[in-house]
Amino acid sequence: MNIFYNVKAQWLAYVAFFLVLGLIPAYVDDGFLLNQMSTYGVYGLLALAISLCWGFGGILNLGLGIPFGLGAYGMAMTMQMQSQDSSNPIPPFMLNNSLDHLPMLWVPFNSTVIGIALALIVPTLFCAIFGGLMFRARVSGPFFAIMTLAMLSAWYTLILDLQPYTNGVNGITPPAPLKIGGFTLDPYSPLAYWTVFALLLIATFAAKLMTLSRFGLVVQAVRGDAERVRFLGYNVASYETAIYTISGLIAAIAGCCWVTLTQYVSPAQFDTTLSLSMVIWAGVGGRLSLIGSIVGAFIIMGAQSYLGDALLATWLLVLGGFFILVVRFLPKGLIGLVESLLGRFPVGLKKSNGDHQLPSGAMFPQAGE
Amino acid sequence: MALGSFFGSFELSSFINALILGVSIASIWLLAALGLTIIYGTAGVINMAHGEFIMLGAYSSYTLQSYLGLPFFLCVPASFVIVAAVGLILERGLIRYLYKRPLDTLLATFGVSLVLMQGVRLIFGSDPKYLAVPQIFQNNMQLGFLNISVFRVVVLAVTIGAAVALWALFYRTRFGVQVRAVMQNKEMAASFGIDADRVYMLTFALGAGLAGLAGSLFGVLNIVLPTMGASYVVQAFLVVVVGGGTLAGSVVAGGATGELQSIFAYFTNDTFARFVLFVLIVVFLRIRPQGLFAPSATRR
Repeated sequence: MNIFYNVKAQWLAYVAFFLVLGLIPAYVDDGFLLNQMSTYGVYGLLALAISLCWGFGGILNLGLGIPFGLGAYGMAMTMQMQSQDSSNPIPPFMLNNSLDHLPMLWVPFNSTVIGIALALIVPTLFCAIFGGLMFRARVSGPFFAIMTLAMLSAWYTLILDLQPYTNGVNGITPPAPLKIGGFTLDPYSPLAYWTVFALLLIATFAAKLMTLSRFGLVVQAVRGDAERVRFLGYNVASYETAIYTISGLIAAIAGCCWVTLTQYVSPAQFDTTLSLSMVIWAGVGGRLSLIGSIVGAFIIMGAQSYLGDALLATWLLVLGGFFILVVRFLPKGLIGLVESLLGRFPVGLKKSNGDHQLPSGAMFPQAGE
Repeated sequence: MALGSFFGSFELSSFINALILGVSIASIWLLAALGLTIIYGTAGVINMAHGEFIMLGAYSSYTLQSYLGLPFFLCVPASFVIVAAVGLILERGLIRYLYKRPLDTLLATFGVSLVLMQGVRLIFGSDPKYLAVPQIFQNNMQLGFLNISVFRVVVLAVTIGAAVALWALFYRTRFGVQVRAVMQNKEMAASFGIDADRVYMLTFALGAGLAGLAGSLFGVLNIVLPTMGASYVVQAFLVVVVGGGTLAGSVVAGGATGELQSIFAYFTNDTFARFVLFVLIVVFLRIRPQGLFAPSATRR
């Protein structure tokens, strides 16, 4: 038996993984570097969302930038409004766009709590409605992927076009860090890192539990063969909508974190390249494994930060080529290598860092059943 | 294409102009979608690199024109041949291994699109290039109160020509019969001695070539940039999705979406019109998920 499929070993790998991540602030003093590490946590959240939706649900979502961007805009609006007071009631860019009072769209963001709640609810609701419409119509596979892509580009143009409300291509740059009840969350402090770390940890463990639950098993069955699951009496569309919406919520949380860390949001968050990059992270790391996807995001974004400067002009060329090779030869991503490596040592090593994966087509009972 | 700002209040003449412009937009979207349609319709491959094929077509025309001094009307078929060759190489080297994994072809071709875009950027730089056309194509035509650029009429004519040629190819030739047989049932067609592999290869090259042809024309309508493909590819995908992946479906879907875009843009503006159109397409797919004219036969 390959230890890769052993649930206990998997949990151990998760704990080890997060212990390592938790040790980082002890060794990194530089605030800038720590901030960068925190943004990697955001990428990890996004990769996790892709892994849930695509790896486990079999729903390729090329528009994860929508909940991510909507969440980011909601948070940016909240943070922007924290800097406004009665003498200076509306954000400066609105004055440049000749608005003389705060638009209705912005009024709820006066309250930090309502603002953050909206930043999470609106994208989730969007995913629930859009996903519900599509899945109930039994739009699936490549068609769904294309529709998410089209929706993403629609949002991009809309945000770009609503210049007076969103500051168009310049985006929103909240002048001060997020304040929650008199407390300021400095994006360069270890606390910011811990916040993102905690969110990633909670999201990952919740996702892992979900994949082992009854719900998660049905979702994986839908990935295998939606028609058979339908014949068994399950409402396939609700399961698909649910997993799609959950991954949207995770992306919205990631969007909120992103803005708290960078204090900047622009239509670039809705760029198709970003959303497709998220898919690349999960694809390279191994979409069938939550932790593989997160590591994939770390590897690619880390390489982009460090190798990207050295390779500069050829970085996209390298990334594209690498991705082609992964899709062609390693459909399970890099974690697939770990899987086959561990397969050579039947039982022994207690270390594995991945989820249970099935050889494609195999249908033996899964852990937690 | 900031046409929204031209139109203020409702006027019949400008509304009719908007309708005419809609026909032109429709022809552009359809031309962009034709190659995608036959590749998707035949092999079930979602080619994310289609936009970059369009971009390659524009750049091949640009190269032939400015370095070899080829006249424009020869650049167009030359771009067809060049991009078809690129498509052929891609199909042989990569796509043919992925036919059984439709989502993976989507991802692999996205990787290809990154490589092509960055490769072209490295060779030609990021600054815009321009394609020159004979003087008569640069003029505007004035018919009564109608005003339209001559080149848009040329694009419309080429689109009609390409669609008719494709129809003839699919429904009036032996090759077309083979393609339709493979579309309906690959194994059955293969057991009757049709080389399905060859059919896939040729349709992929043909689809890529059509993108090249489209690109050489779009390069005149707009500036030539390494990123130009992205602006066409989403519309092209929508045309294919709404049409259901058949030639007739794409023609009708291209016409309807282009015309609606122009009409919405007349009442609001270009970007908002696009948003409304996309939402309408989502609602439409709720009612007809298989698209307008989906093939009734089984798919792989």
